[in-house]
Amino acid sequence: MTIEADSFENSQRNQRVRRLAMFVVFLIIAGFAVIWAINIYTWNGFIIRASKSLVNGLALSMLLFLMVSGFFLIFGLCDVINFAHGAFFMLGGFMGYVLYLQTEAVFLDPSLPFYLLFGTNYFALSITAFIVSAFGATAVLALIGGGIEFFTIRRLYGNPIAQILLTVGFMFIITQVAEIIWGPPQFSYFIIPHSQLTYFFISGTIDLGGGVIFQTYRIFLIFLGFAVAGIMFIGFRKTRIGLQIQAGIEDSEMVEALGTNIRRLFTIVFMLGAGLAGLSGAILVPWIGANSGHGLTYLIYAFVIVVVGGAHYGRFEGTFFGALIVGLSIQFTSYFIPVLENIIVFIIMAAILIIKPGGLTGRA
Amino acid sequence: MKNLLEIQDAHVYIGSFYILQGISLVVPKGEVTLLLGRNGAGKTTTMKTILGIYPPTKGKIMFNGEEISNLPTHKIVNKGIGYVPDTRRIFGTLTVEQNLIVSRRKGTSKGDMENRFELIFDLFPDMRRFLKQRAGTLSGGQQQMLAVARALVNENDLLLIDEPTEGLSPLLAKNLISSLGRLKEYATILMVEQNFRAVSKLGDNYYIFDSGKIAHEGNNMAELIVDKALVAQYLGVSI
Repeated sequence: MTIEADSFENSQRNQRVRRLAMFVVFLIIAGFAVIWAINIYTWNGFIIRASKSLVNGLALSMLLFLMVSGFFLIFGLCDVINFAHGAFFMLGGFMGYVLYLQTEAVFLDPSLPFYLLFGTNYFALSITAFIVSAFGATAVLALIGGGIEFFTIRRLYGNPIAQILLTVGFMFIITQVAEIIWGPPQFSYFIIPHSQLTYFFISGTIDLGGGVIFQTYRIFLIFLGFAVAGIMFIGFRKTRIGLQIQAGIEDSEMVEALGTNIRRLFTIVFMLGAGLAGLSGAILVPWIGANSGHGLTYLIYAFVIVVVGGAHYGRFEGTFFGALIVGLSIQFTSYFIPVLENIIVFIIMAAILIIKPGGLTGRA
Repeated sequence: MKNLLEIQDAHVYIGSFYILQGISLVVPKGEVTLLLGRNGAGKTTTMKTILGIYPPTKGKIMFNGEEISNLPTHKIVNKGIGYVPDTRRIFGTLTVEQNLIVSRRKGTSKGDMENRFELIFDLFPDMRRFLKQRAGTLSGGQQQMLAVARALVNENDLLLIDEPTEGLSPLLAKNLISSLGRLKEYATILMVEQNFRAVSKLGDNYYIFDSGKIAHEGNNMAELIVDKALVAQYLGVSI
């Protein structure tokens, strides 16, 4: 008995020591990286690059978090790995782009009565167009996601291979349709050059002096991302359907045995998940543009975030930490070691999986 | 109507396994019916068949005079059946209160809900204390109370209770069974229990399962307990 208690205590202590050692190693590596960066880019250059990476990284992380939480919800509740999620995100971008320009055109068309609504108040016009595009992209993608669940995936629950083939198929279909309409990934569509007014309500920069300049829209994205994430968290804690989704992620059969129509809940979650992909795609357009190649890129990010965060063990907060790590590391490397920009997330994923095979929040 | 639930010659396959091989039983209104038998005899499958999780390939299930055999699970449950599963299956990441809210069916008013909470606290006074606690951090006995409470959030005619004393200490099991005894006033109960001696005072009728069939049935638990040959043959205890 005492031996067992001792060895338990020992293993606890060992774990604590190992964690501390890992933290110290991490600090030392980070310290060397900072010294190296200051050496190459000078102190001033370092500050400029680091602050830009931080702002861009946080903005990207928040948006990645919104996209991946949709992916996670579908995976968590319905046990479906949605390979079309990146394509939903990409389509959300195009929807946001098209809806923004269309809304703007409607308000600017002198033959329509909406012309008088804003007059020359372009700020109000642009903000309205942005809200319409964000909500519109969310709604369109929610309908597409719900439709795909209702008409196809519903027949394939409990058959993971068929689900993978089906969602991969949808990924190709959506990507091809986007390529037919908008062209291959070489073409990126941004609001500013295509807009009739060539005006977007949040443009320009914030200059903090000393060369530290931030794009205003990216700072706005951080807040917007936080706000949407906050609303989502409150919805999950306070509403009955949010609680049902959480309970269903743990044990969907039991939720059904308590009287919930689980099939309907699955459809709702698909709509919610695809809607979140559409929303994040649409509000990223003013920054990264709409591009038919985004489907695959962001699908891979979604996988990496889930694995790094350990969200595949059912921990929602895992997606948040995973998104932060992926978003920040992409931006930091793009400013400091541009050659690694495209592979850094895989290096980090490999490192985390070697140290903690269950991801950050998962069990090993 | 005397019988609240009636199963007529139910045959159930799970995958390619022939689990229930023609089960017929009745659950009289206002009484406690026990399903006894060894592990793997088909008791839990019978519960899940009633719930529509494993619908019967042949046979009929009648609830309140209505056939429910081919309905989806949520529709069956919404007719007034509460389910307490064998491994508790509480939602560990939610608080106790959230577990109860999730279990509330559509159309339950706030006033109703408060009344049901009062009933739950009356049966399990401890629940009030850990209402805001995460269900995953509760002890085994507390989790079992929560699993029962979840079935009491709605007004149910029938409670399906699967192995409530499994994994509980004898004292906890005794307390739980006395609480379940008080539930008789509110609902008809169909209960699976391995520990048939513990529930002998509770049961009005019993069915003994053996290899997917009903081997014996009766309505006098006191006689069953002293029937050593029967107990040894079907309930796995030889004294």
